[in-house]
Amino acid sequence: MSSSARSMRELVNNLWRWTVDRLERTTIVVYKFTVPKQYVSPFGYLGTLTAIVFAILGVSGAFLMFYYRPDVELAYLSVKEIQEKVPFGFIMRNIHYHASNLMVLLAVLHLYYQYFSGRYKIKNEVLWVTGVILGVLTVLEAYTGYNLIMNQRAMLAVNIGMGLTFSAPILGPSVAPIFLGGGLFDLVIRFYALHVFILPLLMLLLAAVHFPRALIMDFPVISAVVGVIFISAGLFPAELGIKFDLTRGIVEVPEWYLTAIYAFLRAGTERFTAGALLPLLFVILFLIVPFVDRSRKLSWKDRPFFTGLGVASIALIAITTVWGFYVDFSKETAFDQLYVEPTLFYSTIGGVTLVSFYATYFYMSRQKRGVRPPPTRPIMLSPKTSTSLMITLLVFIAGAVAATFYTYSINLPNHSMFYLGIAFFLFGLLLHIYRHSLSVEERLKAQKQQQKAEITNQ
Amino acid sequence: MLQGILAAAAIVVISPFTMFINFFYRKEEERELRQKIANIRDLSPGSYIYFSYPQTGDPKVDNDPFRQYVLIMTHDGQLRVYSRVCVHLWCLPAYIPTKGQLICPCHGSIYRESDGVAVDGPAAYQSYPTNALPMGRVEVDNNGDIWMVGVEGRIGYGREWRNVKPEDLVKRV
Ligand code: HEM
Ligand code: FES
Repeated sequence: MSSSARSMRELVNNLWRWTVDRLERTTIVVYKFTVPKQYVSPFGYLGTLTAIVFAILGVSGAFLMFYYRPDVELAYLSVKEIQEKVPFGFIMRNIHYHASNLMVLLAVLHLYYQYFSGRYKIKNEVLWVTGVILGVLTVLEAYTGYNLIMNQRAMLAVNIGMGLTFSAPILGPSVAPIFLGGGLFDLVIRFYALHVFILPLLMLLLAAVHFPRALIMDFPVISAVVGVIFISAGLFPAELGIKFDLTRGIVEVPEWYLTAIYAFLRAGTERFTAGALLPLLFVILFLIVPFVDRSRKLSWKDRPFFTGLGVASIALIAITTVWGFYVDFSKETAFDQLYVEPTLFYSTIGGVTLVSFYATYFYMSRQKRGVRPPPTRPIMLSPKTSTSLMITLLVFIAGAVAATFYTYSINLPNHSMFYLGIAFFLFGLLLHIYRHSLSVEERLKAQKQQQKAEITNQ
Repeated sequence: MLQGILAAAAIVVISPFTMFINFFYRKEEERELRQKIANIRDLSPGSYIYFSYPQTGDPKVDNDPFRQYVLIMTHDGQLRVYSRVCVHLWCLPAYIPTKGQLICPCHGSIYRESDGVAVDGPAAYQSYPTNALPMGRVEVDNNGDIWMVGVEGRIGYGREWRNVKPEDLVKRV
């Protein structure tokens, strides 16, 4: 290495150290980011992944604001413009849309992992409670977001939301006009303000309390998560729907995270009960868990009652969600197609929930704690294999990126997103192998040194 | 003791801010709230007029579905003003004079001209009070001018039609 290069490097290093030193004075050092040297199960840091997807939403959402118009008549047209005319608008909108789905999904998975592993104990009660509230805000944020498009589906959701707010006891009639204003022309702006500023701000404030101090940044998995956003966007591009039209009735089903509530409404349950009271009860159940489950046991295997409850809640979510999607197309009118027979509905959800609780509870109470299976021997790739694998992956990534450019140039932006997703996914894999080979190298070095030491000892 | 005084002072000094709640409600100006719609001499049983209320002169606001109303002279000569927002899913029902009903184009809810209560379609299956169109409060002066002066019920939601009779919403002044 030439001396000028070395002094250059020293300068950069010094500058880096100088900056890090000054950052000690700020709040940023409160968080300790750990980059794992080895594969660790992503279940443990699903929360960090949720936060990263939130960051992606913040960035893509801010860019969407450049073109989006919060206006009854123009909103739909502006999203259509983003989708069809704005260069890379299709991609920006699809990143935002699919990241939003992924964020809701990751938040739910994160919650259940924490639940089953009993993490809400051991002084984590505040983390748990803020987490549950963050989850609710996430769904509200997604709700306000997809209403911004002002298509038929959005209006259905707005209608249901306003209906249940109006029917809330005592406060309802005075709260609903706060969202509604003087009419839909006010409503769209208010939802916009909530979506792009008020709710994200609340979420950030809560996140500051919710984040534990040690955060795991696992780059291979982060790259794969980005890949998942692009791949799902490529496979299921976000739809525009039909501009809301006050003279046409069509069958619409809301976004998957709201169909559970929709199922209750369609079974004729009173609006406020279906849309607010029951979900609230469900959330409160989760909120109080740490204060009820006082045992010192953490693992789900040692807590059959709470595991049963968790499994039952998953079954309840699953069955109501499926009911929400159910549309009987053999019926003639939209109204009849969407009707859900209440007795059938309540008996299936009641039955499935109870059965899953008892089955889990009894099965687990009977089980003796088995011996843990012996740890499987870790796979060790030789340096040569690693190198050739990485080269192969590089070739595939280059191919996928070439396909990304090509498909975009022939105006197939969804294919383009799919290939880019594949590229990110493979890059995650490449990162993983790179990290693996580093640790193997270290192990080999250590072995060699040991051998050397043994030889000299003899 | 001192702490109590401090707490009381803090509450008193903050209390004016509770008025800020009014910020969140759009206030319609006084002069717009009393709005002339038509003259009674120009109407006959079965005739109707679509209009928006309260009118502002801003087409964006005036075209909002939540501000659309219909003035009807019913077949027995009564004046009625209804919100045009269907309490089912917010489509705009049209008045059909030959039937004496308001019929929604989306899922076929049918409202009576006499009191705006849904008698058929999805809106009719909704529970009280979400099965009736909100009504306009109307005054008719000596010249026969018809003025809309307010709204009874919640637009897009319903009206407590058992408490207030529709004929009580039409006053002669
Ligand atoms: C943090 C800052 C955020 C900003 C500034 C923002 C901004 C926007 C904007 C301008 C739109 C309208 C464009 C469009 O409809 O495509 C939008 C739509 C949307 N947003 Fe956000 N957003 C943010 C976060 C989120 C989060 C956290 C979620 C959900 C977890 C979310 C879910 C949605 C959804 C579902 C849509 C509709 C997407 C579509 O179909 O086009 N957003 N957002
Ligand atoms: S919106 Fe009027 S009947 Fe459904």
